[in-house]
Amino acid sequence: MNKPKSKIAWLWENMRGYRIIYFFSIIGTIAYNAMQLVVPYITAKIVDTFLTGKNAAENINTQRDLFYQLIIAMVVLTFVRTLIVYLVCFDVEHVSQKVLYRIRTYLFDKIERQDMKFYSTYRTGDLMTRLTGDLDAIRHMIAWVIRSIVESVALFVATAIYFIYMDWRLALSVLAIAPFIFIIIILFKNKVAPRHKALREKLSLLNTAAQENISGNRVVKAFAREEYEIAKFNECNTEYSQTNRKTAMTWLTYYPYIETFANLMPIVLLVVGGLFIINGQLTMGEYVAFTGLIWAIQNPMRQLGNIMNEFQRFSAASDKVMEIYYSEPEIVDHPDAIDLTERIKGKVEFKNVSFQYADGKLPVLHDISFVANPGETIAIMGETGCGKTSLIQLIPRFYEPTEGEVLVDDINVKDMKLHQLRKNIGLATQDVLLYSDTIDGNIAFGDPHIKQEEVVKFARYSAASDFIAKMPEGYDTIVGERGVGLSGGQKQRISLARALAVKPAILILDDTTSAVDMETEKQIQHSLNELDFPCTKIIIAQRISTTKFADKILVIQDGRITESGTHDELVAKKGYYYNLVQLQTGEEA
Amino acid sequence: MARRNTYKEDEVLETPFEVRHLLRAFVYIKKYLGKMIFALVLSAIGGIMGLFGPMITQHALDDAIPNKNVELLLWLAGALIFTFVVGVIFTTIRSRIMINVSQNIIFDIRKDIFEHLQKLPFQYYDDRPHGKILIRVVNYVNSVSDMLSNGLINVILESLNLIFIVIFMLCVDVKLSLVVLAGVPILAAFMLWLKKKQRRAWQQVSNKNSNLNAYLQENIVGARITQIFVREDENSETFGTLSDRCRKTWLEAVMYSNLMWPGIDNISVWVRAAVFIVGLIFMGTGNVSLGVVVAINSYSARFWQPIMNLGNIFNNFINNIAYLERIFETLDEPVTVDDAEDAIKMPDIKGEVTFENVTFSYDESKTVLKNLSFTVKPGESVALVGPTGAGKSTIVNLISRFYNVNSGRVLIDGQDISKVTLNSLRSQMGIMLQDSFIFSGTIEDNIRYGKLDATEEEIIRASKTVCAHDFINRFQDGYQTEVKERGSLLSQGQKQLISFARTLLSNPAILVLDEATSSIDVQTERALQQGLNAMLEGRTSFIIAHRLSTIKNCDKIMYIDDGGIAECGTHEELLAKKGHYYHLYTAQMEDIA
Repeated sequence: MNKPKSKIAWLWENMRGYRIIYFFSIIGTIAYNAMQLVVPYITAKIVDTFLTGKNAAENINTQRDLFYQLIIAMVVLTFVRTLIVYLVCFDVEHVSQKVLYRIRTYLFDKIERQDMKFYSTYRTGDLMTRLTGDLDAIRHMIAWVIRSIVESVALFVATAIYFIYMDWRLALSVLAIAPFIFIIIILFKNKVAPRHKALREKLSLLNTAAQENISGNRVVKAFAREEYEIAKFNECNTEYSQTNRKTAMTWLTYYPYIETFANLMPIVLLVVGGLFIINGQLTMGEYVAFTGLIWAIQNPMRQLGNIMNEFQRFSAASDKVMEIYYSEPEIVDHPDAIDLTERIKGKVEFKNVSFQYADGKLPVLHDISFVANPGETIAIMGETGCGKTSLIQLIPRFYEPTEGEVLVDDINVKDMKLHQLRKNIGLATQDVLLYSDTIDGNIAFGDPHIKQEEVVKFARYSAASDFIAKMPEGYDTIVGERGVGLSGGQKQRISLARALAVKPAILILDDTTSAVDMETEKQIQHSLNELDFPCTKIIIAQRISTTKFADKILVIQDGRITESGTHDELVAKKGYYYNLVQLQTGEEA
Repeated sequence: MARRNTYKEDEVLETPFEVRHLLRAFVYIKKYLGKMIFALVLSAIGGIMGLFGPMITQHALDDAIPNKNVELLLWLAGALIFTFVVGVIFTTIRSRIMINVSQNIIFDIRKDIFEHLQKLPFQYYDDRPHGKILIRVVNYVNSVSDMLSNGLINVILESLNLIFIVIFMLCVDVKLSLVVLAGVPILAAFMLWLKKKQRRAWQQVSNKNSNLNAYLQENIVGARITQIFVREDENSETFGTLSDRCRKTWLEAVMYSNLMWPGIDNISVWVRAAVFIVGLIFMGTGNVSLGVVVAINSYSARFWQPIMNLGNIFNNFINNIAYLERIFETLDEPVTVDDAEDAIKMPDIKGEVTFENVTFSYDESKTVLKNLSFTVKPGESVALVGPTGAGKSTIVNLISRFYNVNSGRVLIDGQDISKVTLNSLRSQMGIMLQDSFIFSGTIEDNIRYGKLDATEEEIIRASKTVCAHDFINRFQDGYQTEVKERGSLLSQGQKQLISFARTLLSNPAILVLDEATSSIDVQTERALQQGLNAMLEGRTSFIIAHRLSTIKNCDKIMYIDDGGIAECGTHEELLAKKGHYYHLYTAQMEDIA
């Protein structure tokens, strides 16, 4: 997508579909401002004609109809005016909410489809600030700032023209003050713009600090680090508060000058107008007309400072929002990606794959080559940090190899459509992430339309049905965020059921049974062999019991495959794997 | 216990009346009362200065200009400038004071809510999405500050203004004043109706925003899961629905809020019309003079201005009380696990741990531990084995008093742990949880979390003990490597090693390892074990592990099943017993062999 030239152009782009009704609210704004000038005129007429005027006492008896007409006009006009105000307010709220909705859902969608690089760049609290606080500044822009600009400009221009038309010399002497106010506002803008940038940074830091503390509450308590956390948070709280103060104080530094200049306008009017009257160049009536409308020049001037302040807030916030709005993931579908219509068969092949993280400094995988034929089980073993997890993440194309190719069904994964590729893969990650939803909802995550019996079936496959059944609310039990309330083994089993529930052609298990006891693991192993759909299994595991029956075992050391073969072959080789077997059978004790 | 909350459900809140909240908010205002009164006085003086303006202008028009007195005109202009400047200075000073006051109030509330959150037990965090807690600390607190500072001052100013006008009006003519005041009951009825609608509507806004925040946070954290399950479309749709609900509730709320101002405006015009009509009819009967009608008409206009301002402030109150009550709700959240009133400091722990008839359940529906009793001698290492969900983690959580027991006692060195301060207890324990949470920051920062004043050597020693030193050094920045929040940098096993080092660094008297090494490969674990054995010497330790090779050297093995101890003894004893443990062990060996 082409990035528009300015923030306003971007906002305008996002207002499509609502521009016409927004335009109505602009017209409405002008209309009710005009009517605001009419009602005082009617009241003045009533007072003039029936109370203070020359023939007031007579008029009240002779022109009673006019009297009532004026009263009715006053009541009706007010009603119509307030109705317009109400409709205008509703209109701008409606449009601003629609645009907010549009941008927010767009951003969410955008964030969801980003690659891993994006997620290691942006912190949760920061992204949340962009989708809440920053977006609010954009909403405010539409709901208030633009309307205020129109109101101020319309009022100012109309009155200025009227003034010039009445007496251009007097008008110019009053308007001569306006440029000073403009200069002050420009100076103010230059000062306040960086403040708003800083302010939203501090807000983001505050959000991040609080977010991390809440997520890590267990660790905080385990180490009795409450006071340390409070001190850390206080720092963010203080900085945010100080920046807020500074921003407000910046306004207060310029406010007195703006206010003084705005107040000078009626004084200039009084002095110059007075001199003109004294010299006979102006009538009293003309002078009164000037003073009656001087507020319509003054108020927009006062409002400008406010508008500028809010505009800068919008500007700082929209920078942050647009950054996400226009960020493109590097891992995307190729324009000529192959369209797979059928379920894939499940062949996985690595051809001389090397890999290095973009933010890492050392290569993680070197020259990895292996083939997993459809239906085979491949076990991957190796030391902590040897690159096992990195390897499997290349299959669903979470990352791209720096060299070599990853092929699924003999097609380079780069040439497949991401969603089609991933639909065929079931992955149970090491870091089990469940959602605060029911157990049923969690298992059915990959396929929300799956039947209840199927959910139960997959829970049984992953040896989770027993403990789920024991829970008071069974499958309707809500698990807390990140699956709190469940033990590690229970979480892993639900995550396994979730991966199985999509009936993947390729099942990848990243040490999914590490916290599961042996007996349960055996059960799981058994059901994995009896799945009722064809499935290639790639399993990272530490336990020999898991790897023993694999068609092929890959031993990875420092990012290279050092041993590969069946259990028996590797045992015969007396290498790393053999040692592992020795270790685990526990003969050393 | 209520059901766990999710993004799908609104949080319940039972608060019938809101004046209570305002009174309560007074606690935060009290500290700044002096400053606020000073600001109030400045505003009042500024207001009075403003009254001179029209008088001086009048003088110029009536006197200086008709008499062609240029000098007087200039003097009067000078006087006008003076009153304006004084007014501006006063307003500026008031604003300066109030900015500080309102920022201080926000700071205080936020500090309180955060500090309170630190005291809340696991249960609190387990029962609701974290996004819903977060929105209270950050977004809600921001919303309420203006109401508590400037809102309050303006209420007082406008009320004073109103009272003066009413007094003036009554002095002029009681009957016509009553006509003006007749608008008040109409207004009151209108506002009462509006308030009810509005309050409900703003509560909904806060609910829906809270739901949105919850979903947002969970999905940012779980983006990888979304992608692997190709759930982007569905999730976007859910998020769209949540966003749309926010939009609708907001529109409904402003639909009511925006009625306030036009409502008052219309009522004020009806009243003015009534004044004209009644006044002129009375005038016909000779009861009222012309001047009185003119005066009452102009007072009536001025009478409604402060009311309109008060209406706006009122709107603001109603809106923000929806947030304020959520803040207070959090502050009121009972600290179920807290220091007893006469809590003492836990003396240096020797390491004897005793459970005395402990019964425990997370909620009423299911008892996790039943009448559990056991004693562990100082320096003993105890392994807890048994099926997942049997209650092993629960037992170790109770030793650190993460939860309160329902009945029975947990004693350390003969001291009931519910009678000592949490800080003194937990700071002597080293607990490694299943979920190895890594903070964003450097690797060193993360290890140092266990002992804030640790030297570099201590950190390196701890890392060496847990075999983390080598892989840390392999990073280009070594210990200074930045670990990003959800970064791909560390594998799960590496995270466990780092949190292991963190735990060891805290030099605990009692060490708890809850599946601490599950993601670490067997060889690394072996190496780690050797370092660990030296560390464990003389410390009481509790180890939960499924890998039996990890635990068979423990002094005591407890087989936990169904909330009780099914078997207890050394590895050899239990094997000889040919019970659960034997079964478990042989199964494991068979598998491998």
